[in-house]
Amino acid sequence: MSVTKMVYPLYQLGNPQLRIFRPSWFLTLVRPGKEQPPDTVQFRIPMDMTKYDVKNYLEKIYNVPVGVVRTRIQFGSNKKRNHLNQRVKKPDYKVAYVQLAQSQTFTFPDIFPEKDRTLKEGSMEEMQEKFMEDEKQRQKSDPRRGGVTEWFGL
Amino acid sequence: MASSSSLGRVLTLCKRFQSVFRISPAISVQHCAVNLKRCQNNLLSEKSSLIASSWITPISFVGQRRALHTTVSRRGLEEFFDQPENWGEPNVKSGAPWTAKQLRTKSNEDLHKLWYVLLKERNMLLTLAQEAKRQSLQMPSPERMKKIERSMVRLDTVVRERETALRLLQTGQEKGRPGDWRRNVFGYEYWYRFKEYTIPWYMNKRHERKKFYTPHFVQPHIRLRIERFLRERARKVNLKRKTLAKLKERFPQMKLPSS
Repeated sequence: MSVTKMVYPLYQLGNPQLRIFRPSWFLTLVRPGKEQPPDTVQFRIPMDMTKYDVKNYLEKIYNVPVGVVRTRIQFGSNKKRNHLNQRVKKPDYKVAYVQLAQSQTFTFPDIFPEKDRTLKEGSMEEMQEKFMEDEKQRQKSDPRRGGVTEWFGL
Repeated sequence: MASSSSLGRVLTLCKRFQSVFRISPAISVQHCAVNLKRCQNNLLSEKSSLIASSWITPISFVGQRRALHTTVSRRGLEEFFDQPENWGEPNVKSGAPWTAKQLRTKSNEDLHKLWYVLLKERNMLLTLAQEAKRQSLQMPSPERMKKIERSMVRLDTVVRERETALRLLQTGQEKGRPGDWRRNVFGYEYWYRFKEYTIPWYMNKRHERKKFYTPHFVQPHIRLRIERFLRERARKVNLKRKTLAKLKERFPQMKLPSS
């Protein structure tokens, strides 16, 4: 039933509950720009998703207890211009602030931690690293000059 | 907590099968199901395909069935992120995307479950990409996005094929949504798809203003369009003829191509 553009059938009193199989909606969890309460998770959602859609999505697919969802639409600026002086539009997107139920908290983790890599002996990366270090060493001035620039004679 | 105890119970149940089937933990199984095909270990890929087919349904010993599966996934928002071992890695390995031929061999239930597996993976990649943009760093292995996208498109195609086949057999209708060939104001004939309304078309005031015919004064514009089309076609033919004539002049022994 999943389509690129969702067509909702008409609802009249007594009709069965609308169900969507294989939804083509994709959420992006984002780090909040402004400080949020500890139980709030911030998502970027497709424009045609509603608060009820987000709640059902997270509860059914991710098994996350959702309390309340608030949404807003962020306008993408149309002010920037390209090299042809044409205005370039940044796409609009919808933001959902999801508050978790059952007093759960969520902090956005650090996904790019600094890992000290031990380079394999004789590998390409190790040779490149050595080469770069040698180059940097060559660029540095003679330490015996004590910080004096090369401009001065001798 | 209730969830952890049930998890513990299911894990112990799984341990009974571990010696027989060598089931890998639930997390990596899901990732294997996503990045199936071209896994180095063919055995693992076979097992994980079976596992993917029933990873949502819980184990039950009621009917004495040997349900080959892993636990019901209890991770919530963690599924928006990769495994913690992959955080900070410059490259993350992934297999080839699903092809339509492979997907056609799977049952409807399998495809339904695979859709959600792919959906979760895609959400995870989108989260990763956005965070990488935020931190001004490179996203590890961005080719995964395209692979997932293509797999999902192919899955959708396969499901649509099956639905059309069923519809043709059961009702004889080719299209699920009724429609008609209609002419619009600009002289074009297009496939107009019907929409559901609560009132009939002759009572719809707004629909009356929509014109499904071409007014008489549009005929000159249509004629100009036709002329432009014919001119472009003639230009193409002429260009081809002239290039061949030039080549023939330059290379007299040349054999003219059949096309």
